[in-house]
Amino acid sequence: MNELALIIEDDLDLADIFAEALRGVGFRVDHAADGKKAQERLLNGEPPYLILLDMHLPHISGGQLLTDILKKDSRFEKTIIIITTADARMGEAYGDMVDFVMIKPISFVQLRDLTARLRPKSSPNQENAA
Amino acid sequence: MKQFWDTILNVPVPDPDDARRRRLLNILLVGTLAATVIGLAGILAASLTTGQLKAPEIRLLLAGIFITALGTLGIYRVNRHLSGRWAALLYLLLLTFIFVFTDSPAQLSNGRSLFLFTIPIAISSLILLPEASFLFALIGSGIISWLALSIQQPVNVFAIIGFLMLALVSWLSARSLESALQELRVINANLDQVVNQRTKALAESLRRERIEAGRNQAILNSIADGVIVFDRNWNAILVNPAIRSLLDLPPEVIVNRNFRELIEHPNLSARSRGLLYAMIEHDTQPLSFRIEWGDKTLSVSAAQVYDLREEGATSIGTVTVFRDFTREAEVEKLKSAFVAIVSHELRTPLNAILGYAEMFREAVYGPMNDKQVNMANRIISNTRRLLGLINDLLDQAQMEAGKLTIHMGPVKPSELLEHIHNLLDKTASDKNLRLTSEMDDNLPETIIGDGARLEQILVNLVTNAIKFTEEGEVRIRLFHLPEFRKWGIEVTDTGRGIPHSELPYIFETFRQVEEGATRTHGGFGLGLAIVKQLVHLMNGEIKVASEPGQGSVFTVTLPLVTP
Repeated sequence: MNELALIIEDDLDLADIFAEALRGVGFRVDHAADGKKAQERLLNGEPPYLILLDMHLPHISGGQLLTDILKKDSRFEKTIIIITTADARMGEAYGDMVDFVMIKPISFVQLRDLTARLRPKSSPNQENAA
Repeated sequence: MKQFWDTILNVPVPDPDDARRRRLLNILLVGTLAATVIGLAGILAASLTTGQLKAPEIRLLLAGIFITALGTLGIYRVNRHLSGRWAALLYLLLLTFIFVFTDSPAQLSNGRSLFLFTIPIAISSLILLPEASFLFALIGSGIISWLALSIQQPVNVFAIIGFLMLALVSWLSARSLESALQELRVINANLDQVVNQRTKALAESLRRERIEAGRNQAILNSIADGVIVFDRNWNAILVNPAIRSLLDLPPEVIVNRNFRELIEHPNLSARSRGLLYAMIEHDTQPLSFRIEWGDKTLSVSAAQVYDLREEGATSIGTVTVFRDFTREAEVEKLKSAFVAIVSHELRTPLNAILGYAEMFREAVYGPMNDKQVNMANRIISNTRRLLGLINDLLDQAQMEAGKLTIHMGPVKPSELLEHIHNLLDKTASDKNLRLTSEMDDNLPETIIGDGARLEQILVNLVTNAIKFTEEGEVRIRLFHLPEFRKWGIEVTDTGRGIPHSELPYIFETFRQVEEGATRTHGGFGLGLAIVKQLVHLMNGEIKVASEPGQGSVFTVTLPLVTP
């Protein structure tokens, strides 16, 4: 089974684009549209291989999710975390805690190419996944 | 007692010489009267003891004394109410007349009583006229000559010469006395005048000072800003009424107190207290900052006052102006909130447009023909441009709010160039321009700076150069000035250049050199303004050199810090 990517993003269009990019390179994609849903999903669901985390979220902020769950729970030790933000300073502030920082606007191609490299070498490629 | 004598002796007349003479005459009259009274008493006593009261000589003597007393009183009245001169003349004549009968003609003309006639000569020059001494010298001479002749004796020529000499001396001394007094009076009058003038000038300057002070007070009272003036030791010496509404404290509570007491007021936030203490202790002035006082935000401006008359101009105190900044602070807070919202809310949908357009181009949902791909590319490039404009506006807004800060970190100049090529090579080649870059060999491999902002400077300069260049090349050079511990960025183009008249303004906000350039080239003209502000934030400078038709060179020089 392909690796699971969790997109935590409150803008549905962006989530759709990100999902398309990730699916394109062979990820299974799950989506949480706000901080609370994301928290629930993280605590109860399958730990994702990769998380695309928006820092500006309703209810619970991306920063809180990051410090309270992702960095505390050992289940996420191996999870690749990419944070997305429009604020370069926030990106800098959390830069050390995560694997990648993407400053919005995020290009479809850029995200697709980056995440393609992040998949394990042995994994099935895009065509196989589809 | 003195007053009693003054009322008796003084005659109130305006001419001071006349008054002086009349007073002198009055003294003599009083003296004469006293002498007659004493003489009368002496004669009466002597006659009673000897029993010679009825002797004809004594009677004559008594009558003489009585007449003298009466005459004296009469002359006193004349002197007092009619004329000093007539009184003096009468008195002198009376004296002379009395003297004639005081002794035998022989003694008077040639013996022991000769001196009696010198008395009117000396006195007359003082109480009548200086020249009057000659008159009485002549009268005295006439009398002694007549007396001498009446007893068949020779005229006493020596006495007459003596009288005349005495008259001369009296005249001279009286005259010089009078002229000395005259001069004294002139001097006095001058002195009075000077004193009057000085008094008037002093009154005038006092009046003016009072008006000036009143005006200053009125100005101070009517301005809406709160003003406190402190002396050198930070004691409040002046407080205007506006302070009351700003600090909710009556001015009386502040004035004459030390500033430190006010700083300890519980309404001040801890941060504000620190700022005010810093102001007191460091004297880094003039300065301006904001404090929170209760629920108000106040701006504080402080300036030291120097006494320019003093050499070396030492501070004599500080004027602090408090202004209610609450509303402005709220507006600023709203503005930065607005900026944050806009930065998120505008960029998110643009990001979606960009993403979907890319999905078209990448044929995510099936094959696309060339025209469709081209269209997708146009959507992408226009969206990127719009994003760039929004970023410029946000940067500008942040800089105006003083929110834009520089984050220092290690930066590799070579990576900077690499990024620029990645970003802009295509833009340049689309216009058939070469984009080249070079780097001074001795430029350190890693320097300390704000990588993102340095890249922004480069992007803005190079984008600008490409925008205004139709053919040729855009050249980037990173240079090193080790002797000044500086490094820099130089961007050269072969574009149309900038007219000399426009050079001073090209770093201004919303400025584009030519009318209509915005329409042709897009953008708000914010790029260079942002570059300049960023360079200043980095303590650097930016210069431009341009020759119309030949191209432009933008040079950014920055302090070199190495890790």
